[in-house]
Amino acid sequence: MNNNLRGKYAIVGVGQSKLGKVPDLGSIGLFTVAAKNAIEDAGLSKADVDGLITRGPDDVYCHHQLVGKALGLNVTFSTSTDNGGASQILGVAMACMAIDAGLCHTVVVGYGRDTWSRTHRSAEAKRLVATRDESQSNREFGPEFGQFGAPVRYAIAAQRHMHLYGTTKEHLGAIAVAFRNHATRNPCAFLREPLTIEDYLSARLIVDPLGLYDCSVFIDGAGAVVVTSAERARDLRHPPAIILGFGFGNRLKGWFADDNMITTGAREAGETAYRMAGIGPKDVDTVQAYDCFTHMVLLQLEDYGFCKKGEGGPFAASGALESEGALPTNTSGGQLSEGHVEGMLQILEGVRQIRHEYGPDRQVKDAKIALVTGHGGNTVCQSALILGRQAS
Amino acid sequence: MSEYTKPLPIPSVESKPFWEGCKRHELLLPRCNQCASYWFPATATCPGCLSTDWEWARSSGRGRIYSFGVYHRVYHQGFRNDVPYVLVVVQLDEGPRLVSNLVNCAPEESQCDMPVEVIFEDVTEDTTLYKFRPLRQS
Repeated sequence: MNNNLRGKYAIVGVGQSKLGKVPDLGSIGLFTVAAKNAIEDAGLSKADVDGLITRGPDDVYCHHQLVGKALGLNVTFSTSTDNGGASQILGVAMACMAIDAGLCHTVVVGYGRDTWSRTHRSAEAKRLVATRDESQSNREFGPEFGQFGAPVRYAIAAQRHMHLYGTTKEHLGAIAVAFRNHATRNPCAFLREPLTIEDYLSARLIVDPLGLYDCSVFIDGAGAVVVTSAERARDLRHPPAIILGFGFGNRLKGWFADDNMITTGAREAGETAYRMAGIGPKDVDTVQAYDCFTHMVLLQLEDYGFCKKGEGGPFAASGALESEGALPTNTSGGQLSEGHVEGMLQILEGVRQIRHEYGPDRQVKDAKIALVTGHGGNTVCQSALILGRQAS
Repeated sequence: MSEYTKPLPIPSVESKPFWEGCKRHELLLPRCNQCASYWFPATATCPGCLSTDWEWARSSGRGRIYSFGVYHRVYHQGFRNDVPYVLVVVQLDEGPRLVSNLVNCAPEESQCDMPVEVIFEDVTEDTTLYKFRPLRQS
């Protein structure tokens, strides 16, 4: 079976840049600050790093080269990945595989984006956002009908889910409210004002059935992690987050094909990751889920096996996702409230929960196993990472 | 007629015959001569069996709404006077799903699985768009 990497590698350092409005740094600058902080957090130095995996903004050629240059690194393995928001977990998995193949020993994996500044810095930036085609490859079969932006794909998926299973806006709202509740305890979160279900329901609509608070918040920010062997991790500064499993599910036929917007590739990603880790959904103490939109969380709760297909709405509305609930989820506030850095900050939160780094208001009590998820690339790529305090 | 301010499709090598069909008010789909499946948009090989032996076939233009979203936010000034407008994913009777607009139907009347039929809008001299309206029961 494919469990040969279970417990062999670990995340030993995590770092982030300032989050929010950081107009004095671009995406590469944010990344290098996060990388420096992650290396220091591990108790390592730059000379220990011999691998680098990045996921660059889509319009940057050979992104890992630019980051490596800024960090002053020569390495024996580096690349940039291309799976959208599923890339950051892919980077961690690739780090394990590269180390296992003997290509390198200690790998920095990270991502940074300057989305708030890029879209708000000037009147010109705002105009470009208002008029530009979100996807450069989208030249037909969309823009001519007014298909713009990311929310519509999730709105269409939510509409179909509501039709099939009776899912409601209140169900989706429970997700937004729970994560905001968590964000009120996270000093780095972009949105920290408490949110009520009434606030959620009265917010302006973006693409119905999704409204303002169904959407994640664009920020400037970066995160990075250091991956090395579990053996080496024992001598380092913090308790390691042992990598127990990972998996991917990429339904490349597309979001609109088959029933891929109802049952997503997260099902395959989860099955693979659980098998590698030798665990099941019942063993998971906390989830840090990719939450570009509320509905994507609902789908993942179903596809990763925390409830049956169609029951994600009532499950979310039961209070399960709250920090005192059965499955504390997105304890940082997630991308909906802390800020959207394409899943990178979800990995950091998973590691910190496994380290038991927080005080009682944010720490998931006795957290032993965390599931972190990624999602992206025109909505079809899913990635899963299982972290543990123990190697088995 | 006032100037058309919405984006126009930029046909690819593969999609050019499709858009030429629209100008003739015909909805064309690739159909495989080996496995008889339809797909959309056109690609060099049939996604079902990878055969390169396929031809353009005329669709019935009828199908059902798989799902839809109602735009309230204006992302493009060309649509400023259209909100709220309905973006639909239509499943044609032949199988393929197309993104389009639902017309002649209020957003609140839109429903998943509702039967629809294609209509054509000649939006400029060179471009005709395919859209869908509720199927009229005869």
